[in-house]
Amino acid sequence: MNQSENVLIIGSGVAGMEASLMFSKAGKKVTLVEKLSLIGGKTIKNEETFPNMDCSTCLVAPIQQEILQDGNINVLTSSLVEDVKGEAGNFTVTINKKAGYVDLVACLGCGMCYPVCPVELINEWEENLTNKKAIYVPCSGALPNVPVINAEKCLQLNGTESCNKCVEACMFGAINMEEKDKQLKVNVGAILVATGYDMLDVSEIKNLGYGKYLGVYTAMEFERLFAANGPTEGKLVMRDDKTVPSSIAIIHCVGRSQTHYCSNVCCTASSKHAHFLHHKLPDAKIYNIYSDICLPDKTYQKFHEDVKAHSSEFIYQADRDKMKISEEKGKLKIEYLDNNNKDAFIQVDMVILANALRPAAGSEELKKALGIDHDKFGFVEAQPFKIGSVATSKPGIFVAGCAEGPKDIQNSVIQSEAAVAQIMSLLNT
Amino acid sequence: MSEKIGIYVCECGPNIASKVDIEKIMQELAKLEDFKDKELVIKNHKLLCSVEGKKFLEDEINENNLTHLVCAACSPRDHDSTFINVCKKTKLNPYLYQMVNIREQCAWIIPDKEEATSKAIRMIHGGMDRVLYQQPLEEKQLDSNPDVLIIGGGIAGMEAALTLAGKDRAVYLIEKSEILGGKSAKLKELLPRQGVSLNILKQKISDVQSNRYIKVFTNTKLDSVVGFLGNFEIVIKDVTDSNNTTELLAGAVVVATGFDLTDVSSLDSYNTKKEDEVYNAFEIEEMLSQHGKIIMRHGKEPGKVALIHCVGRHEVGYCSKVCCSYLLKIAKMLKDQSAKIEVTELYKHMCLPNKQDETFYEQVQGKGINFIKIKNAEVVGTTINFTDIADAKKKLDVDMIIVGTAMIPAAGTAELGVELKTDQHETGFFQEAHLKIDPVSTNTDGVFVVGGAHGPVGITESMLQAQAAAGKIFTQLIPGQKIIPEIKVSEILEAYCTGCQTCLDVCGFGAIYFDEDKGISVVNEAICRGCGNCVGSCPSGSIRTRHFTNPQLYQEIKEALR
Repeated sequence: MNQSENVLIIGSGVAGMEASLMFSKAGKKVTLVEKLSLIGGKTIKNEETFPNMDCSTCLVAPIQQEILQDGNINVLTSSLVEDVKGEAGNFTVTINKKAGYVDLVACLGCGMCYPVCPVELINEWEENLTNKKAIYVPCSGALPNVPVINAEKCLQLNGTESCNKCVEACMFGAINMEEKDKQLKVNVGAILVATGYDMLDVSEIKNLGYGKYLGVYTAMEFERLFAANGPTEGKLVMRDDKTVPSSIAIIHCVGRSQTHYCSNVCCTASSKHAHFLHHKLPDAKIYNIYSDICLPDKTYQKFHEDVKAHSSEFIYQADRDKMKISEEKGKLKIEYLDNNNKDAFIQVDMVILANALRPAAGSEELKKALGIDHDKFGFVEAQPFKIGSVATSKPGIFVAGCAEGPKDIQNSVIQSEAAVAQIMSLLNT
Repeated sequence: MSEKIGIYVCECGPNIASKVDIEKIMQELAKLEDFKDKELVIKNHKLLCSVEGKKFLEDEINENNLTHLVCAACSPRDHDSTFINVCKKTKLNPYLYQMVNIREQCAWIIPDKEEATSKAIRMIHGGMDRVLYQQPLEEKQLDSNPDVLIIGGGIAGMEAALTLAGKDRAVYLIEKSEILGGKSAKLKELLPRQGVSLNILKQKISDVQSNRYIKVFTNTKLDSVVGFLGNFEIVIKDVTDSNNTTELLAGAVVVATGFDLTDVSSLDSYNTKKEDEVYNAFEIEEMLSQHGKIIMRHGKEPGKVALIHCVGRHEVGYCSKVCCSYLLKIAKMLKDQSAKIEVTELYKHMCLPNKQDETFYEQVQGKGINFIKIKNAEVVGTTINFTDIADAKKKLDVDMIIVGTAMIPAAGTAELGVELKTDQHETGFFQEAHLKIDPVSTNTDGVFVVGGAHGPVGITESMLQAQAAAGKIFTQLIPGQKIIPEIKVSEILEAYCTGCQTCLDVCGFGAIYFDEDKGISVVNEAICRGCGNCVGSCPSGSIRTRHFTNPQLYQEIKEALR
């Protein structure tokens, strides 16, 4: 069989997008597989990124647009890699593309179809903070700006009743209820795994009260709460839709004792959250409760110091495993060990848990399909006996971004560009 | 040929059609006084960006022999390139087309249909006025040189060289010292994966030396660089004999000049003499390489050792991110050397940003090391006065102090930045083109920065950055491929330029030079990005940016301001 110079990239976050555009520039054909219906990864969930408070959409939207318009890049959304056969230079990849029931070319994203849909569902992309319809885009500004239909919940597709409301509302005839899942096969010379991360489920850590007390949020929930295109359109109100918190505590290193690694980005993200809060609620009392502060870039400390000076009181806790959160008279009580190793507490309206990053859902299945090794944490292992490499245990398969371990955008992009170099070297020899 | 302007109004399905009065727009445009002697073709379309819409537009341009084109549709960010590509299929020069955004700027934001329609008419009118002032522009193609100059022969520079060098691409690696290897050559063991042999480094040095596509110049530094991505003219010189120069041509430059460590004697909180038992990490590494163990100057093993983190951090204003893990490494080495040595780590924040580090930390914590979290510390000789996290003031006398000192830009970094016309970060390191999404590029196209010159890094990160720069070069500088520079660049009108050189200062890309003979400033079009900074700064109004000239812009906004 012929050697292929094409590349498969799994995951369309910043790492996957950067590599896609670079390969395209070099004249390589790229198949970009994304499990969700939108590209952009986790970055677009953030309103702004630390430390320069760049607007994430402004940062990523031009890249997303470029990807979608690039003739060398075949973007497969709502798709999963099911099987990989072959070897470096010649892989045959089986991809399952889930039916979205909306034609990507015909649809303009005008949004006429959602209001007429009678089905209300929880919007997981919005961290369950709001609802969506059975035909939906996960958030406004999603790219491609084309909705998909949840076939299990759609009344027409699941056979509950004959409902044709969205089809009637569409002025472009873009909705096709007859669409079926497709199995595609592509031949590629190399594969880049850029599947990103998910967040640790903090309801597993019982003493922090997540899921029990409505005032306790995860970091990503807070990101969406703050986002202008989020469930509250950026209005900082709590789950009851009316209370504006007057005191907020941000807890660092949540889940670090469980994961046994530092998640790299939480200290800076938590400083950013304090900055956001102070900016939006200048009278609110903000606390950051930490054990160690990790600021691994030349630009991060200045930002952090600024937050510490103007936005938040930083409280040291001696043992992060001893923290306990309870509810008392409508306030959240945070008990912790202070700098003298003595019991102390504060009371607040809202708690933000800066929870650990963990391997993305579906990593295990992908690992099996690809035949690559994971480290003991479940992240993709870069070649264990070679330092400074982004090659996995299987020749021809590479890794970049948080799929390899927690890291910030900068280092995700660096790994991605490094993977491009390694893959280009492989394909050109 | 007389002018024939095509104006096409996209309905964008209901997006535009339901919010502005398309019929009225077309009628009003047809009646414009100032266009009554021009031939106009005014049509609407349901969806110009669709396959059918693009074909329609292409046929319209050809069949009507349009000389100018205005598309009133959505944001140029969405479909400017779509319509440019349509023009490219026809005889119409794409720079004689103008897009007007009546969706985001009218339909979507103005609830009142009449008001939205009126604004749309004025905006399209502005587009029509502008397009008549536009000039056809032709893209140029330049030859490019795929070879690469790498400055610095440490781990990052060598990694970049080995990744890039090949039969289609030569690499020139210059190193100011007499040997390759840089700072890594001083290490006994590598982090974060303990036990990885330094043979890897030795192997890299010999791979570089034996690679026929890499030419190594030791004892050499950069003298001068002029040019742009694909075409740099470079002069390098002997460190000891500056008259001994060599000229090189390359398409890209990778800066890998590394870092230095803060000298503790420069810090106010440290009162130590040279003979005191105070060592930085590299001195310990050298000691380990020489003696195989950690000993004091008189040869005896220390009884009590304190390792102090974050030394100089406050002064430099950033975390050096590898010191915590290497001090843990040294603490473990001490305990492995002899369990009797009392080891104390005085740290402010344990920063362990790599996934492997925490496991190592947990392992080291089981070694009987005393960890004390401090707020600050002052050192006199080998006596440490510190304030702990509980605000208690304490004193610690030890036989030896090992300091984790801040990483700082290597000497000469600022001068190098000036020569390469790259921006410097306030910390003194090189500044990335974009901190997040373009982290190894600089503001000078074709100049990349990796390793310690970029900021504090460990070995793994240095190597990845080096490969990242190689990746960028692989995809930007393809052997045999021409380079198409930005076409909408600035030009200086010779007759008006007074030679004041203000524009040289404001150009962020080093694209303007001064022609001494003529006494005027000149734009190097291959470097210019058309940002327009110089245009605004020119006191004599002698600079204009193509496709964004003042008359063109005035025409466009004239109607909006009416």
